[in-house]
Amino acid sequence: MKPNSFVLSVAAVVAMSFAGATVATAKTTLEIVKERGHLRCQVGPASPGFYNLDAKGNWYGSDVSICQAVAAAIFGSKTKLEIQSVSSQVRFTALANGESDMLSRTATWTLLRDTQLGLDFTAVNFYDGQGFMVPKDSGITSAMQLKGATVCVLTGTTTELNLADFSRVNNMNIKPVTFEDSNVRNDTYLQGGCDALTNDKSGLASNKAAFPNPGDHIVLPETISKEPLAPAVRQGDAQWFDIVKWTVYTLINAEELGVNKANVDKMRSTSTNASVRRMLGVEGNLNEGLGLSKDWAYNIIKEVGNYGEIYEAYMGGGKLGIGISRAGSANDLWTKGGLMYAPPFR
Amino acid sequence: MSMVKHEKTAPRDAPLSETTFIGWLQKNLFSSWINTILTIISIYIIYSVSKSLLIWGVLDAVWVAENRRECFAISKHGACWAGVLIWFDNIFYGRFPRDQIWRVNLGGLLLVLWMAPLWLPRVKDKIFIGLSTVFLYPFLAGYLFAGGDKGIFMQVMTTGAIVCLIGNTVHSILGMTSGRSLPEYLIAVLGKEKASDGNQRNTLLAILAVAYVVVYALQMGWTVMAVPWSKWGGMHLTLVISGIGITSALPGGIILALGRRSRLPVIRVLSVSFIEIFRSVPLITVLFMATTMFPLFMPEGFVLNKLVQVIIAVCLFSACYMAETVRAGLQAIPKGQYEAAHTIGLGYWGMMAFVVMPQALKHMIPNIVGSFIGLLKDTTLVSIIGLFDLLGMLRAISQDIPWRGLHHEPLIFGAALFFVICFAMSKYSRHLEVKLSAGEKH
Amino acid sequence: MAIDGAGKTVATLKPKEKFDFFHDERVRSVAYQILTACVVGWLAWYLISNTAHNLQVRGMNTGFGFLSATAGFDTDFKLIEYKPGVGTYGRIFLIGCLNTLLVSFFAIIFSTVLGFAVGVLRLSSNWLVARLALAYVEIVRNTPLLLQIIFWYVGVFALLPRVKNSLDLSAGAEVAFLNNRGLYTAWPVPDDLFWMTIVAFLAAVVGVFVLRRWAHKRQDETGKQFPIWSASIALLIVLPYLVYLASGSTLNWDVPTLQGFNFAGGAALPPAFLALLVALVSYHAAHLAEAVRAGILSVEKGQTEAALAIGLRPKKAISLIIIPQAMRAIVPPMISLWMNVVKNSSLAIAIGYSDVVALFMQTALNQAGYAVEMVGMTMAFYMFISLSISGVLNIYNKRVQLEER
Repeated sequence: MKPNSFVLSVAAVVAMSFAGATVATAKTTLEIVKERGHLRCQVGPASPGFYNLDAKGNWYGSDVSICQAVAAAIFGSKTKLEIQSVSSQVRFTALANGESDMLSRTATWTLLRDTQLGLDFTAVNFYDGQGFMVPKDSGITSAMQLKGATVCVLTGTTTELNLADFSRVNNMNIKPVTFEDSNVRNDTYLQGGCDALTNDKSGLASNKAAFPNPGDHIVLPETISKEPLAPAVRQGDAQWFDIVKWTVYTLINAEELGVNKANVDKMRSTSTNASVRRMLGVEGNLNEGLGLSKDWAYNIIKEVGNYGEIYEAYMGGGKLGIGISRAGSANDLWTKGGLMYAPPFR
Repeated sequence: MSMVKHEKTAPRDAPLSETTFIGWLQKNLFSSWINTILTIISIYIIYSVSKSLLIWGVLDAVWVAENRRECFAISKHGACWAGVLIWFDNIFYGRFPRDQIWRVNLGGLLLVLWMAPLWLPRVKDKIFIGLSTVFLYPFLAGYLFAGGDKGIFMQVMTTGAIVCLIGNTVHSILGMTSGRSLPEYLIAVLGKEKASDGNQRNTLLAILAVAYVVVYALQMGWTVMAVPWSKWGGMHLTLVISGIGITSALPGGIILALGRRSRLPVIRVLSVSFIEIFRSVPLITVLFMATTMFPLFMPEGFVLNKLVQVIIAVCLFSACYMAETVRAGLQAIPKGQYEAAHTIGLGYWGMMAFVVMPQALKHMIPNIVGSFIGLLKDTTLVSIIGLFDLLGMLRAISQDIPWRGLHHEPLIFGAALFFVICFAMSKYSRHLEVKLSAGEKH
Repeated sequence: MAIDGAGKTVATLKPKEKFDFFHDERVRSVAYQILTACVVGWLAWYLISNTAHNLQVRGMNTGFGFLSATAGFDTDFKLIEYKPGVGTYGRIFLIGCLNTLLVSFFAIIFSTVLGFAVGVLRLSSNWLVARLALAYVEIVRNTPLLLQIIFWYVGVFALLPRVKNSLDLSAGAEVAFLNNRGLYTAWPVPDDLFWMTIVAFLAAVVGVFVLRRWAHKRQDETGKQFPIWSASIALLIVLPYLVYLASGSTLNWDVPTLQGFNFAGGAALPPAFLALLVALVSYHAAHLAEAVRAGILSVEKGQTEAALAIGLRPKKAISLIIIPQAMRAIVPPMISLWMNVVKNSSLAIAIGYSDVVALFMQTALNQAGYAVEMVGMTMAFYMFISLSISGVLNIYNKRVQLEER
């Protein structure tokens, strides 16, 4: 026997016994997903607000809701969904390999990722930006006062790079202390192991809320980076790209049009607003281009609600929310001064 | 002048140190001033560690609460075990559907049932039972855990496993009650003791075939709901990964070890370099390689999921370590055994399979248990790749909104859990070592 | 041909050796090898061609050109000069390797010392001490190292005093501080003439070797002993010190001082380094303690008795009879433990110590995305270190075997 043929046989046996192997042909992603009977959506290892496990083993969070919305659009049910979690190092390769159908995790839309990793970002579902948190009693009120400071940062994300850029541009000589585990990072910060903690502001808010004394810490006003977070799909399947993109747009449009989980049935039968009627599939045949059923948008709203509901539940003040106020932020609707703007249903 | 003493010396009392507690203390703790200082330091260490642990972990601890804030409200500086308790199912079964957890439990129970005869003194053919555990049990357990549509291959294998399990159990019960093996019993029942060997064998094969067909027919109607790999997690996943790792490491390790000792230079060089490459790098780099490079190795369109990638990496890694264990076992076999095997006309494979390996395996059992402990501890690394194994689950508790930030307690719980499992196994392997080496001296 | 009793030559029976191509041992072994080589070669070609194809299809970058590209991120612990935006990925790799080697080097030294100490304590006649040593060994051996590293970091080093209340380890001299941002000590800054002192030290080392050989030779010839230890130590200290004084005081100390947020100046070790070091030391010392204990127990009691019987004093008996024999059993597991130290230092990733895995295979890979090259380089680095250490083991084994006849 030869060592490497052993490798191959192990690989084959393991692969077979887990039925994990699928051989893709020239089918479209939608066909593959429909044939399989459920959507494979990739998130990361728990990140508050975006994707979390609860004690019963269910996923929840705003990015999870996007996954559920896509599943609802295709199958009419948000439960036809398999959520996979992989660490940030392998997230893009796992999507590119076809291990998952879409990526709905806090991945920042950047030029490099959009063009060099074989994937396409669809539509922004959350606008984030990197900031700093410091203990209140340090007396620091601006990021510019952090010259020579030690800053705790998570490794493996753009956060590290942003911090280095910020330090370099402003000639601040900031000392980064990197961590792989956010709990270890938080402990270090709370014990005074660093002068400040840097992360996306949503992350800062959720971390702060979890501290024993949240009032003892403040988030500094500066935002040192743009972090538009968007679901991503593999390059080269325009229909699938449209489905995911328009799922996000449906959520935003529904909020703008005042359609929510509770009133969607009523709206479908009684609404006279042409936009609402077209969206819910009462009028026209907008579904055809997507290859979905007529009531795809209705299913999305019926199953997961609109953007505002998702935000309130997981990002805002809901029981499982991380408590970031939405009013006046970039994540508010364009009609209220925010950036959430979706093309119309026509 | 006589130096001889005529009267008998009165028997002395047993030394104080052997009879009274004070004497024992004096001998074992306070025999010299250095010992006394060491004792006092030791007592201080034990006292301070156990005191703070007791206060934090038990006296001030919170056992029932809805969320972490509530824990804080009840006791600011005590442990908050409530979160760990609420996450109990996640920690042990991962995201396995809650109404299907019986399948995991059944899988564990079957393993115990399958392997229990190995510890029963009167049961014969233990080698066969051990081999069937390695080669058939994984398929039955694999189907129980993964579920879904059985392909023809899985049908064949699970049927084999079920037949074997039934046979094993009956065989063991017979062994315990009458001291006979299952084949002996069947022959006796059919009244064929006097028949020729060939006749007996054919009868047994026929019974086996009938049993197989019956079970095959029965199991066709038995299906369980599919549970995708992404729902596996917790302790279950940790055991699955390390279990597959160690079972596949055995054949792999034997092949590599034989390759390393081969007289054929090409095979030897390949085996040596394979073993040395994987033994000289940390598991985490192998895991990274598996998750970043394996997908690139595959032909386009062929997709391995993350769990399979990780399992292959663990298998490769542990096979190379097992190869060295096997090599050590082979080296312990005296040369005379090889020569004797050649003398009676056995070829290379016959010699290995019937003479050398059985003896070497016996020597290796304690080391194999040791490797399994090592592997069990090492698999905690898969949490860095993003799988929710035991450690991954424990770390996820602190991200769940109600329990945000709760991470000391889960990690301590995990450490205690690992300690109990690994300690029990290492004690057992030491016991085996003593038992096996005692057998050696007869 | 043989000659029988009657003196007649008898033709010895020679089996007819028919050359059968398919059943000939040599042919078969060559065939097996060719077959293996073909299968392995084909597999390698298959994997490489798949990889090349996949890389091309996915538009992923390849090649080692990235090593000279500048890296944008910074790291908190580096032994060589590096600036983000100026330093290259190649330099990042070098920093990571050096950090791994640094922590491994100290961990190997301390765990060896501690391992021997605990191994001896395990055999202590003091019941409580022996039990305590056993408890330590069992707890540490039966829990995952990853958890232990996190424990040392979160449970011990993060709880040290803050910067403003640093512990002064030099008892008021203010040259060494310990706080939850690490260990800060004064660091010598040599000036131009300091090389003379270094040369003197090297000369002293050579002198010690010469002295030892001479002392051994004299003892073999005349039986007289020479106090080699005290003489060597005296030589190692006195000679460099005299040269140091003679060349004029040429060593300045860079003393750490509190400036703004942090200490500046001197040498600093981050808490992640200290936690990793302590975790590695305690973990491997426990494993080594078992090997040491087994090694000492493996020397038969008769050896001690025999040594005492020929008139050696107990101290000499231990150092000349027991330890050399015990070492034969201790050294192989000890060296494989050293390899494990290097490999396990890769768990630094959990607490953010910038070793080669965390810095190069995690951060750099995330930024630049050359997965194949970066994972390959990291593995090659570990392979190089491990194979060097196992080379040392092989040399030692050969020596021991030679001495064994």
